[in-house]
Amino acid sequence: MLAVSINAAIGRGAILLGLLTCLSGIAITVAGIRKHDLRALKSAPRYAYLAFGAALLAFIMMERALITRDFSMKYVQQVGSRDTPALFNFTAVWSALEGSILLWLLALTGLIAAVARKFRARVGDELLAWAMVVLFVVGLFFFLLSFGPANPFAMGALGVNDGPGPNPLLQNHILVLFHPPILYIGYVGFTVPFAFAMAALITGRVGEGWLLETRRWTLYAWGFLTVGIILGSWWSYEVLGWSGVWAWDPVENASFLPWLTGTAYLHSVLVQERRGMLRVWNLSLVIATFSLTILGTFLTRSGVINSVHAFSAGSVGPWLLTFFALVVVVAIILIGRRGDELRSPGAIDSPLSREGAFLANNVLFSIFAFVVLLGTVFPLIVEALNNRRIVVGEPFFDRMTMPLGLTLLFLMAIAPVLPWRKASQEVLRDRLFWPAWCGVGALALSVIVGADGWASLAAFALGGFAAGAALRQIALASRRQGWRGVVGRANGGMVVHIGVIIIAVAFSASSSYTRTQEFVMNVGETVTFADHTFTFEGLSLESDDVKTSVKAAIRIDGDSVYSPARSKYIKQGMDIGTPSVKTGFVNDLYITLEGNVRTTDTEARIKIFVKPLIMWLWIGGALMALGTVLAAFPGKRRQPTAPVSADSVLTQSTTDEHV
Amino acid sequence: MTNLFNKKMKRWPAWVVMLFCVVALMLIGTQRDSGPSTPQERIESISQRLACPTCDGESVYESRGAASQAIRKEIARQVADGQLTDSQIVKAIDDSYTADLKLVPGGTGFDALIWILPIVLLIVAIAGLVVVFRRWKAQGALTATDADRELVESALRQVSENRDS
Repeated sequence: MLAVSINAAIGRGAILLGLLTCLSGIAITVAGIRKHDLRALKSAPRYAYLAFGAALLAFIMMERALITRDFSMKYVQQVGSRDTPALFNFTAVWSALEGSILLWLLALTGLIAAVARKFRARVGDELLAWAMVVLFVVGLFFFLLSFGPANPFAMGALGVNDGPGPNPLLQNHILVLFHPPILYIGYVGFTVPFAFAMAALITGRVGEGWLLETRRWTLYAWGFLTVGIILGSWWSYEVLGWSGVWAWDPVENASFLPWLTGTAYLHSVLVQERRGMLRVWNLSLVIATFSLTILGTFLTRSGVINSVHAFSAGSVGPWLLTFFALVVVVAIILIGRRGDELRSPGAIDSPLSREGAFLANNVLFSIFAFVVLLGTVFPLIVEALNNRRIVVGEPFFDRMTMPLGLTLLFLMAIAPVLPWRKASQEVLRDRLFWPAWCGVGALALSVIVGADGWASLAAFALGGFAAGAALRQIALASRRQGWRGVVGRANGGMVVHIGVIIIAVAFSASSSYTRTQEFVMNVGETVTFADHTFTFEGLSLESDDVKTSVKAAIRIDGDSVYSPARSKYIKQGMDIGTPSVKTGFVNDLYITLEGNVRTTDTEARIKIFVKPLIMWLWIGGALMALGTVLAAFPGKRRQPTAPVSADSVLTQSTTDEHV
Repeated sequence: MTNLFNKKMKRWPAWVVMLFCVVALMLIGTQRDSGPSTPQERIESISQRLACPTCDGESVYESRGAASQAIRKEIARQVADGQLTDSQIVKAIDDSYTADLKLVPGGTGFDALIWILPIVLLIVAIAGLVVVFRRWKAQGALTATDADRELVESALRQVSENRDS
């Protein structure tokens, strides 16, 4: 073994190269802007590609280190193992703090390179040049993080020949391969609108130009974040054994916060595009979304919060907190400097209008985000100020967010049918009639099938109402435009709405109507629960190099056999349960093996959960992803509505100048 | 014919019928809401209100740890006893640990802030919206500038010219 690992040397060199590249990118681009030097500006994309190349090389060297079992490296000693299967050895890169920053860096620099490539013909444009500077600054920060406090290429103790491998929970499901990278792409994706927003503030081109440039980037970032969150829920459901999909855990909340503000932004941006209004608000939302991704990274990686999903405490906390503070302070100063230029020229004529509904939607999403943020950081505040430890858990979040969720569903029903400017009573009566009856139909159906509880019933009724409104819009658009009726921002957005509604209904049903029973069963015994029979056919032992599993064979309804297990991971000494799930369109049968079991036991404690509509959560998620893709297709372009009649010509020309 | 039918359908009596249906269905649905129906479901419901004392932010319901299993056993014993209500069981278990196990912060003292702040924000947001809409309304009433008038006059002139020709 070499005293200095070749993997570590090249990897660290690559990080240093990336760091210097970003630094040079900033210097060259700023100099180019200052001196109006087009040649300098034209070289900016090259720095972006080189930064991406450096991050990719670092990532490859880390993979190589894990694959070749280079135990001279500290990170490999921490998460590598000679026995880890190839797939989980590959994903081990992002199974701890330093490697996860490396993955983040790869996604971020990939995105910077993509932006540079997309806009390479227009690098002379000052807005784009400043956006590149901001992207390089963010890249520089993460390279610095990876070079300093989160160095994945540090050398480990001498004489180590094996490691424990990744956390057992990160090596028992295929979703470990998809959830983190997709989620990270979503997180870093918001860097693009942030960079353009900052560029708009720096250049003073605070019109609609930067919004239009980043429309699709934002949409894709939001789509990736959505899919990442849903895959995380699925993974948690399949692995953790408590049958839930969402626990309001601080790390889950860290991903949900930018999703909330990002969703608000995707709606309010329409008001600025159509009416030239809400400029400060949109800038604030974009900056808040990016800042929340940094804050989330801080919460997840600083060790300040307790979570099963959090990385162990490292020294990156102060760095991330400083960067977060810096982003917020600089953004506030820039917004303050542009005060008058950001003043919107228009007015919203009536709360009963499309823009009025978007404003209400934004207020609700902002309060929602505030509640989630407050609940997440409140234990920290109490500990800091009162020297007491408290836990804020699911019941708090459920109680506080349920009315907000129901109101948002109501808005989802109303907003799509509202016209811009002002809606008359007749229009509302006409357009809401059939969607409202859809809501009544959904309510009637849920009462017939035995639903109870006002909150769930309200969710089903409002879900039906909102689905009716979305389907009405799709039907009208399809009648007018044929197959294009599901394409474009408005129509694709309706497909996303349907996905959200399905998730809301499925989430409400699975939270409210889960039935559970624990049975102590003897071999050969059959029990009946929720109209299904469960026969315990015995225990078996399976072992490999990594773990020893005791599996229970449970035959459901005399048909297929399902095998919940308890596995002991040899190196970590950790005992974890793995549920077995019979999936169905109406109910999932979720079975876990409880307690300590041995294959010689003649009885076992089996817990059965009957979970309604779980599959619809994933179907809803798939529809949201599909809707996002459809929304990104160019639909029929509409002329923006003038913000105010007298100023329209002036405003239009000013806007055009900046685009 | 269809349009006429559609228009008639959508008049206010149909909305009254709809409202009646909603109220009736909600009453039927909420009347049969009886909460957790079996002892096991009561145990699950109570365990969702308590934090695992040894885990990283998990509830007793979510956690598979030994401490959570012990608490679940205690909940099961109390439920089987039938002496205490759910809230009393939560309090009894919380009192028996030095750490705060309640997952819902209290409504008094410093902890009350977590309940009050979102409501304050909601009130401020609504008040802000009212103020902004009033300002916009006032602004709307005053924005008929000379340019507006000229624009309207030229449009009207064009209409009358078209009519004449």
